[in-house]
Formats: sequence, C-alpha cells, structure tokens
Amino acid sequence: MMAGPFRGLYEAGILGINNRNAEIIMVQNPRSLFPLVDNKVTTKKLAALGDIPTPELYGVIIKHGDVRQFDSIIKDRKSFVVKPARGSGGSGIVLVKEKVKTGLVTESGKTITVPDLLYHIRDILSGIFSLGGQDDHAIIEALIHPDKAFTAVTYRGVPDIRVVVYRGVPIMAMVRLPTAASDGKANLHGGAIGAGIDLNNGLTITAVHKSVIVTHHPDTGNPVSGIQVPHWEKILLMAARSLEMTGLGYVGADMVIDRDRGPLLLELNARPGLAIQMANKAGLLKRIRQVDEAPEDTFATPESRVEWARQNV
Amino acid sequence: MKRPALVAALALIVISLFIVVYRIVSLGYPLTPAEPDYVWTFRFDGMLHGTGRDPLFLLSLPSQEHGQIILEEFIGSGTMNFNLLREYDNRIGVWSGKPNQGGEYISYRASVLFQHKGTDGPVVPPRSSYPYGVTEESIARIEKLTGQWRAMNLSTRIQAVLGFARAGGAGSGNDARLLELDEALEGYDDITRLQLLLAAVNVPARSVEGVDLIQGIVSTTFPWVEAWTGQNWEHIDPERMEIVSSARTFLPLSVGGMSAVRISGGKLSMKRFELTRDVMSRWRVFFERTSRSDRLLDVWSLFRIPPEFQQTFRILLLVPLGALLIALLRNIVGFQTFGIFMPVLMALAFRNTGLVYGLAIFAAIIFIGYLARRYLNRMRLLLVPRMSVLVTLVIFCFLVLALAGNRFGLTQFMAVGLLPFVILAMTIERFFVVVEEHSMRDALETAVGSAAVSVITYLIIQWEVLQITFFVYPELLLFVMGLQILAGRYTGYRLSELIRFRSFRSTGQ
Repeated sequence: MMAGPFRGLYEAGILGINNRNAEIIMVQNPRSLFPLVDNKVTTKKLAALGDIPTPELYGVIIKHGDVRQFDSIIKDRKSFVVKPARGSGGSGIVLVKEKVKTGLVTESGKTITVPDLLYHIRDILSGIFSLGGQDDHAIIEALIHPDKAFTAVTYRGVPDIRVVVYRGVPIMAMVRLPTAASDGKANLHGGAIGAGIDLNNGLTITAVHKSVIVTHHPDTGNPVSGIQVPHWEKILLMAARSLEMTGLGYVGADMVIDRDRGPLLLELNARPGLAIQMANKAGLLKRIRQVDEAPEDTFATPESRVEWARQNV
Repeated sequence: MKRPALVAALALIVISLFIVVYRIVSLGYPLTPAEPDYVWTFRFDGMLHGTGRDPLFLLSLPSQEHGQIILEEFIGSGTMNFNLLREYDNRIGVWSGKPNQGGEYISYRASVLFQHKGTDGPVVPPRSSYPYGVTEESIARIEKLTGQWRAMNLSTRIQAVLGFARAGGAGSGNDARLLELDEALEGYDDITRLQLLLAAVNVPARSVEGVDLIQGIVSTTFPWVEAWTGQNWEHIDPERMEIVSSARTFLPLSVGGMSAVRISGGKLSMKRFELTRDVMSRWRVFFERTSRSDRLLDVWSLFRIPPEFQQTFRILLLVPLGALLIALLRNIVGFQTFGIFMPVLMALAFRNTGLVYGLAIFAAIIFIGYLARRYLNRMRLLLVPRMSVLVTLVIFCFLVLALAGNRFGLTQFMAVGLLPFVILAMTIERFFVVVEEHSMRDALETAVGSAAVSVITYLIIQWEVLQITFFVYPELLLFVMGLQILAGRYTGYRLSELIRFRSFRSTGQ
C-alpha cells in the first residue's frame, strides 16, 4: 500500500505528521478536552486531584494590574520559575536561580533586572507566547533542583522526561538534555539532546542531537546511553494516569525529577512532537498498532497499562 | 474514517465534471474556452461641427473583406443621419445632415474578430496595377529603368525595390540608371513611389490606411503599403521602407488609396480611435448568440454580470486553487510558511507589483521590520501597541516606496499599497519570534518557504487559460473542493519527512 520512497519509513513504523494529526490526535483527543492541557494552571489543578505531584505553585498573575503583586508572591524566595500558562514548546519560560544586588540571575547565567522580568510578565499576559495569541496568565512556581542522575550529561538547565502515552499506555519515552547550544533549555528544536529510554528498565539508549545520532554529550563529553532514570516505575505510572486525569487518548507527558520531591509533572501536551522517534530509533506507529492489538483487560488500570507496556513494547 | 471524506470528494468531483460535460455536450460550450482568440473592440469618437453648410463625414469601417469578422456594431449619430456605403472592398460610414449647434458627438464601435492564423488573406492572387492618375509615358519610363529587376525572383525583386526606395538614387553609388529612376519618380509621395515601383516589377501592391492593432488610443490613422508575396499581403512601413514582421498586426480601415477619414463642409474638433483587446469576448460571441436563451445555466452565468465586476471574479475563482496548492505544498511536500493564507494574499498582491519587485519589497520590509522589532524589544512595549507600531512602520515603508517609485517612474513601487500590510506586520512579529525561539536559520527557511509558495500560487492565478476556464465553468470550484478534501485526508508521509527521518530509511527496518 505504501509505495516508492516512503516504503522505508512505513516499514520502520514511523509516524508522520499528517498521520499523527488526522488519525491519532483527531481520533483520540476531542477538541473539547484541549483546554485542560493548554492551560498549565488547569493541568496543575487536575494533577492535584489525581495525586500527581507538580512543582509547587507560588502564584498566578492574571491581570496587568496584578503585576505589582510580584513581590508579595516571591517574598524572600531565592529561586523561582516564571512561565506562561498557555505557552508551547518551552517559549517564554524564565528560570531564576538566585537573587543578587543588581537583579536576578537566570539559569543560563545572565543577570536581568526586576523591571526586565516584569516586562516579560506583561508580555506573557498580553498573550505573545500563548498558542492563539489570546490573553494569558503568568505562572510563578518553584524552581526544580534536578536529580543527580543526569548531572554528567547536562549543560546548565533542567533535563526533562517526555513520555508519549497512547490510550493510557506509555509507548515511548526520552530524556531531553540541555546543551550549550540550547541555552539551558530542554528543547530538542533549540539544540537539546534527546536520549531514548528503554520502557522496560528505564535505561537510556540511543541519543539524537540536531537529528544526528550521538553517543556523548557535546559539552560535558560524557556518554549519554546506559544511564538509569530514577523513579522509572513512578514516572511511567504518572504518565499513564494522564488518561484518567484528562480523558485525552494521545498525550506527551513532560516530567522533571526533583532531587527532593522525585518526579513532578510539568505539563501535558496534546500534540506531542515526532522527534522522539529519532531519539529512540523506533517508530511510534508500530507501537500504536501494538497497543491497538493488546487484550481488553490491559486498559483497566494505570498499573495494568504500565505493566503491559514494560512487557510488550 | 476515510470513507465519508472520500465519498464527499468523489461526489463533488463527479458533480462538477457532470455540469461541465452537460454544458459542452448539450449547451454547445467550447471545449477549450481559453483558446487565445482575441476579440478587439474598435471605437471611433469624434466631435463634428458644421461650417456654414451641412457637413458630410465619411469614415472607413472595418470590413469583412479585409479578413475580419465583424461581430457587432454600434453607431452614434445624434441628430444626424447615418448611411452605410460600399466602395470596392471598403465599407464607408456616412454621417450627414445638420449637426447640433455646439457640435455633434458621433461615434462608432465594432467588435472585430480576427480569423485564425493560417486561414486569413485572400485566396485569389491579385494582379498588379498602377496607382490612378499616373501618365502612360511615366509608366513606360519607369518600366524601362526597372527592367533588370523584373527578371529576379519575387522576394529579391521586392528587396531590390525596397533597397532603392530606402536609399534613393544618390545612395547607390551614382548609378546612372538609378539616378534617372529617381528623377522619373520625382514629385510622387513615398506611398505612390513605392506602389509605382512595385507595379513596375510586377508585384501586386495596394495602399492601406488603418491603425496599429495594439491597445490604446490614437488620434489619426496612418498609411502603409501592402505587397503580395505569393501567399499573403506583407506590410511595408513607408517610413523605413521595410517589410514589417507579421508578429505586429494592423487593423486596415481603407484599402486602395482612399483616406480613411474624409470630411466636407465641416470640421472635426476632436477625433480619436481606440482599440481594446478582450480575451473573453470570444466567449461573449458565444453568449451573444445565446443571450436570449433562458436556459438555466446561461441565465446564471458569470458573463451576465457587468464586465467591471467580471475581472474580480476571474481572480477570486482561482483563490481556492491557490489555497489547495498551499494545502498540498504544506501537507504533502512539507513547506514551512508564515501563517496559512499569507502566501495567497502575497500572490494576489504580486499581481500589482510584479513578481520581482513584489519579492524584493517583501524581503526589504521583513528585513527593516526585523531590525525595528529588535529595537522595539528593548523598549518593552506591550503586544497590541507593539503590533500597531509595526503596522505603522509597514505603512511608512509603503509610503517611502511609493514616493521613490513616483520619483523614478516605477509604477510597481506605487502599487505597494495593495500588499497585505496587516499580514506583513504579523509576519515581522512571527519572524522575530522564530529567530528568538529557534534560530535565524529557521526563520529564514520559513521566510523562503513562504516566498516560494507565494510565487507558485502567483504563477497559477496569473495563468490566463485557467482564469478563463474557471470563469466559463465556475462549477470547477466543486472539483477544487473535492481535491481539497482529498488533500485533507492525505495521512501519508510528507516529502520533507524523508529527510527528517532519513536515519530510519538507511537502516531499513
């Protein structure tokens, strides 16, 4: 059925963007549920209901008039994160790791002034980072102190873990490792490394950097494969629970591992990207077909789905 | 999941094709409506005044005998009488009677269809003859002096005559014979001279008066000579004494030496000839025939709407095609563009600015806008005011371009006002955000992608054949919609994904 040049992709079970949009997202993710994941404040509330831990929320700035409450939200906290509630692809996020006399030091080492940050918050409220350009809210929450597991292969910033979940079954995972090129952001498009994770044992496998397979981190020089992801079972369970939490049948669950609190859910993405396939050297479509053929009782609970995924995928 | 879309798409395609076939088979619509068979509208307007007595005004009109088909004619004579005369091959319109006190406005309009290439020209070769009023002895003298040319073959003969006519006796190295020939032709005007020479070497020739077949307005007709070269009449420019290439064409009004405009007992305070070309008029020809038809599809035809609105629809009908193209280029090829319909709007704007200028202006405005946007970033403006600053900047760029265009005579620059300025302002913002969040490379790739899609769309909507075909068969929009639905159900890989996922292809499994 698949002819010519596309044959290789089809046989490798690669999911293309048209197929993802038309056959997976449109079928599995009803439009009415999108607001649950498009707004990170809502996602946090839902997660709290389902006992899924998220980074501690310090406050939400809703109106331009509320920007002056910034100080009362921060109080004497030394570090925090400012992010747009409706942002996508990590845009508009500012990580502040310490306060100094001249202002605030961001994760990438730059010092910005408080008025700079307030301007940024006003930008967020004006909707410049939001998906449709509509007015937005700014979230101020706790800065993550990443677990030591990835220190050797992280250049600044916080590595995060993406698990793609189909019908509640985790089908593919990767860890995104910031590099100098990505400016401390865990964004593959921005130049971060994506390392695929073996679903069964939580060990990193191949890694991809700017669509090239790599074995070592370009900045730290350490090998990126064979690293054990801590709390792996819990991560898979949190991801699997996204189905009960939102009703969405196809999501990318983004998580970080805090050295004190363990895995925390950052956000859910109803349109997860396709680059994860390269990080894993495996196709999503193949695994989606596997899930569709799984026995009915597999889908009963998050635990049964994780169990099936670890055994079969 | 695929079936409803497939059924809808096929239904739309079948319905549209059915209507097209019905029109062709039952209503006799042409199969290739876009055949470049232009119909010209010839117009004469004049203001006639009497000078004491009643004027008589004669105008040579386009005639079937000159190889054209007259589709329709309108005569404006005011209070005067109008009569049609026939004079050899010429048709003469005669206005007579009493003009209005302040002058009588008279007009003539005709739709003229030129025959298909290869079938025009008279079939019977004419005989050569001397112009009227030349004495026998002059003729004998000229024939004697041109005797040696008569032996040559036809085309060399014409070239020899033309060569002499160009240079005259003096330009031929004091050849006594040519000097004498020059002397024998003394006193005749250029047209008569040429006719005499051609007649003397047995080349049939005639003098013609008419206008250039190009769109525009002229105030007078001009004369030329036509020589029979065996197959058809060749046009000879009497100014330069050269055969004019057949690519340039003319509308003859008066053939055989008569002036195209003649007047007695009055004067014309204004006269002008206007020619307009109408590609669709061949269609109107068809519709003239069926205009009294009350068949549904003829009544509900786009040809029934006034011509000034038709042009808009010709373009509008192709916009869906542009949208389809964008869908294909984005979803099947994998082009990145700023926004979904920005390229369509750019393509529409290119119609006024031209492709090269349009692209250059696009690039320049994005570049200037990007620099300005970077500077604005330092000013900490909120989103909406910032966008309005960008819109103002874009409009200001238009203004500068228009003024520069006016100064240096570049109308393309003055047409910038039709570029989609809001879209340009938004494109600047998007460009900036992509540079900030991803990289300059990504931003440039997207900009080039947008430009490429705009160019392809522009080429499609400028294609006259398509414009006419869609105008004649607007039901083809349903066909396009069917294809759009099919494109919407294309869930296969994009061509760009061959590159993106190339690592999987090389490893096979």
